[in-house]
Amino acid sequence: MSLDMLQTKTLLSVRDLTVTLTTEGCDVLRGVSFDLAPRQILSVIGESGSGKTVLARALASWLSEPLEITGGEILFEGRNLVEDPAFARHLGGREIAYVGGNPAGALDPTMTVGAQLVEKLRAVRPEISTQEARRKAIRLLEAVKIPAAERRFHEYPFQYSGGMMQRAMIVDALMSDPALLIADNITQPLDVTVAAQILKLMRDLNKDFSTAILFICSSLPVACDAADEVMVLHGGRVVERQVPSGLIASPEHAYTRTLIEELPTLWTGTRESAPPPSRDQQAIMSVRGVAKHYETRGASGKAQVQAVRNVEFDVFPGDNFGIVGESGCGKSSLMRLLTGLERPDAGTIFFEDENIGQASPKRLRALRRRFQLVLQDPYGSLPPQSPIGAIIEEPLKIHGLGNRAERRDRARAAMSEVGLNVASYDSLPTGLSAGQRQRLNVARAMVLEPRLLIMDETLSALDQTEQGKMLNLFERLQAQHGFTYIFISHDLTMVRQVCSRIAVMYLGETVEVAPNERLFFDPGHPYTRALLSAAPTLEKRRYLPEECLLEGEPPSPIDLPPGCAFAGRCPHAFDRCLSETPRLQTRNAQALAACHLIDGGVAQ
Amino acid sequence: MSLVRYLARRLAQGALIVFLVSALIFTLLRVVPGDPVRLMAGGMAPEALIEEIAADMGLRDPIYVQFGRYVAGILQGDLGQSFVRPANGAAVGGASFDDSTRGERAKVWSLIANSAPMTLQLALLAMIFALVIALPIGVWGGLRPGAWPDRFALYISSVFVSLPNFWLGIVLALLLSVKLQLVPAIGYNGFAYTILPAFVLAIEIAPFIIRTLTVSVAGVMSQSFIDIAAVRGLTRNQIVFRHVMKNSAVPLLNLLGVQFSMLLGGVLVIEFIFDYPGLGLLTINAVMQRDFPLIQGIAIVTAAAFVLINIVVDLAATTIDPRLEY
Repeated sequence: MSLDMLQTKTLLSVRDLTVTLTTEGCDVLRGVSFDLAPRQILSVIGESGSGKTVLARALASWLSEPLEITGGEILFEGRNLVEDPAFARHLGGREIAYVGGNPAGALDPTMTVGAQLVEKLRAVRPEISTQEARRKAIRLLEAVKIPAAERRFHEYPFQYSGGMMQRAMIVDALMSDPALLIADNITQPLDVTVAAQILKLMRDLNKDFSTAILFICSSLPVACDAADEVMVLHGGRVVERQVPSGLIASPEHAYTRTLIEELPTLWTGTRESAPPPSRDQQAIMSVRGVAKHYETRGASGKAQVQAVRNVEFDVFPGDNFGIVGESGCGKSSLMRLLTGLERPDAGTIFFEDENIGQASPKRLRALRRRFQLVLQDPYGSLPPQSPIGAIIEEPLKIHGLGNRAERRDRARAAMSEVGLNVASYDSLPTGLSAGQRQRLNVARAMVLEPRLLIMDETLSALDQTEQGKMLNLFERLQAQHGFTYIFISHDLTMVRQVCSRIAVMYLGETVEVAPNERLFFDPGHPYTRALLSAAPTLEKRRYLPEECLLEGEPPSPIDLPPGCAFAGRCPHAFDRCLSETPRLQTRNAQALAACHLIDGGVAQ
Repeated sequence: MSLVRYLARRLAQGALIVFLVSALIFTLLRVVPGDPVRLMAGGMAPEALIEEIAADMGLRDPIYVQFGRYVAGILQGDLGQSFVRPANGAAVGGASFDDSTRGERAKVWSLIANSAPMTLQLALLAMIFALVIALPIGVWGGLRPGAWPDRFALYISSVFVSLPNFWLGIVLALLLSVKLQLVPAIGYNGFAYTILPAFVLAIEIAPFIIRTLTVSVAGVMSQSFIDIAAVRGLTRNQIVFRHVMKNSAVPLLNLLGVQFSMLLGGVLVIEFIFDYPGLGLLTINAVMQRDFPLIQGIAIVTAAAFVLINIVVDLAATTIDPRLEY
């Protein structure tokens, strides 16, 4: 490769690239043009359907039917890849590497990660010996901070966590020393704290390995964090390209301006967040010392997964109670306990005056009239063969409420309340969008007029605009019917917007319970601070990631370390944290946190 | 370490299964009508003699006593003696109850040990034929789902599965042995005699293998790591032969285990048609002669083989796909 000569000029130059969806005859990319210099990081941002992923795939020569390049050129080091598909394929995996957003399924599950890294390098560079390839793979695994790389080299993909797998895929891309790395939504499936680590890693790699990076993502804060320049794609066209600070300060295109305006904020801006309801009244749901474990078979016989431990909180009538935490922290297991789908091993869950954990199945069914659940997946949670009206009426039938005409009236009323067209009463849910499906789910839950609605990641499948509309709907319904909400979510920005009180979970435990303002401005637990520091935002950060979080990932819930579960990643950990498990304790005025620093153990 | 524990557990389970099978067979054989002693001694034997022989052999004891005696024998490696077969020569329960030439009766174990290798040879060859036929068709069909190789795989499987094996056996024997004189068909007098019955069996098994392969190969092909492999720079051949084949091997392996067990246990019709001296033929004769000890022996050996094959298959599957834990 005559890379040296071109080093100073452009590496990749895209001119008037047009990609057409041949079945529909419409263009997905319309005359996209941009240049990428060697070693540059360029973010590409746009809403879903703006053509980001199509662009990534076109550059990686990975377009498949019915998508087709119908115009323009892709010049890589001066050679047009559109006219020379054989050369383009030759570059794939060598000079142009691609990392996708789904690390979980990206490698063969039956081969060790190491063997596949070696296989890949030997496939594109047969002259390299297996020994050499192996040494290189281990060196790169160390470079992306995979602990015990030598041992991990011999492990299978299923033994890697999501974050580690994404690192391994980055190694896979870097094995052949590519000149261009296309990173397509690589932080999308990762938890915020892990995603922050990956972003930092990518910047370091860009420095150390002098690889140009095309960073495609759908979150503006992440894109600005990651790149030297940000390019905005809208409707298949490049509408704007600026350095991040310039883009935020003076967006040129209308789309960018709305994007920035509508971006929910964490610390700035006014919000009329309702004050937490008074604690004098009786709690509607009261959770004390709840624990749940599951049995799995581990390396040496049976093992226990501690999914939920020491969970404690109260939810008061009229509350918007948030439960946040990263994947694997036990949110969903807790949801199954709160709704009586499973029974806790220890502790009590009082709904009004009854212990859900011990209620008889019959009693539980009667109680469910007063608390309802809305799930995450808008597609899997609705029966595809039932008409919309029947879906909403079903809970009424189950509980034997009303006659046919009354049920019909109530279903129609619920439909119009959530903003579904009443005329679609008899049609199937097939044609509904994700947002409409979640409205239908809400209608089904509220038709029983429950007191408590539990929302398990109800909004995470929706885009920013649709989320905003749904939150308005929740607020209106609360005003009209006096609902109490529990929002289970991984999304801090969403929780910040709507919740009055928030519980933070880490490895099955509630480590902090505090009112909204207090949690965001004066968090009592180091993990909360770490979570806040990693949240993607354009605002000036209150908490700096470098100060709040050590490298690493949560320990496995199978072999929990003694003492505080967060100690291994906590920058403030001291001796006591490694031996004694902290309990939730009051930090004056309604805020609780489980940390030894609070009672002044050893102040930092 | 966990491998040893796993094997111990599986073998213990297997022993229990074999025990239950033998108890069931033992009881059923004694409940069904037909007195084996009458068959042994012949229709002309006086009733008193029959009773005497029966009492001699312990056949008039309660079933559980008989079973206990039998199990005790098995634990010492003794499957008993055939009711009807002499240790030397042909097997006919005689009309000659007082025949002095009648020698010692044959050991069940040696009868099985003589015919089992024949069946094993037949089963292995049938398996090889079936794989040779099914692998290319099945893999090809799976690589092109919906296209003509896929349809071809479906059609040819339908044809194979609808051919009755006894009919195919007879037609092929007529065509290849009698008309063309390519391979011998009836009896056994060398390896060549295995070819024709093995081929007929292969045609019977192939459709199942083809179907399993097309489905699992197509399933693996639609997974994202295959999709991404090309972008990572792997060649088509590497993807198909290293990754697709390996990942679709587990369902195939399970199927092969079951099919192989069935081949070992009961290729009754084919062995009968080709007069092939394997376990199947031995079983048919044993049943027709009410040769209780022999039937029991065959059942136990077959059950044990089934258990062992399953353990081997599961072990092989965990080697291929480490996610399947023991």
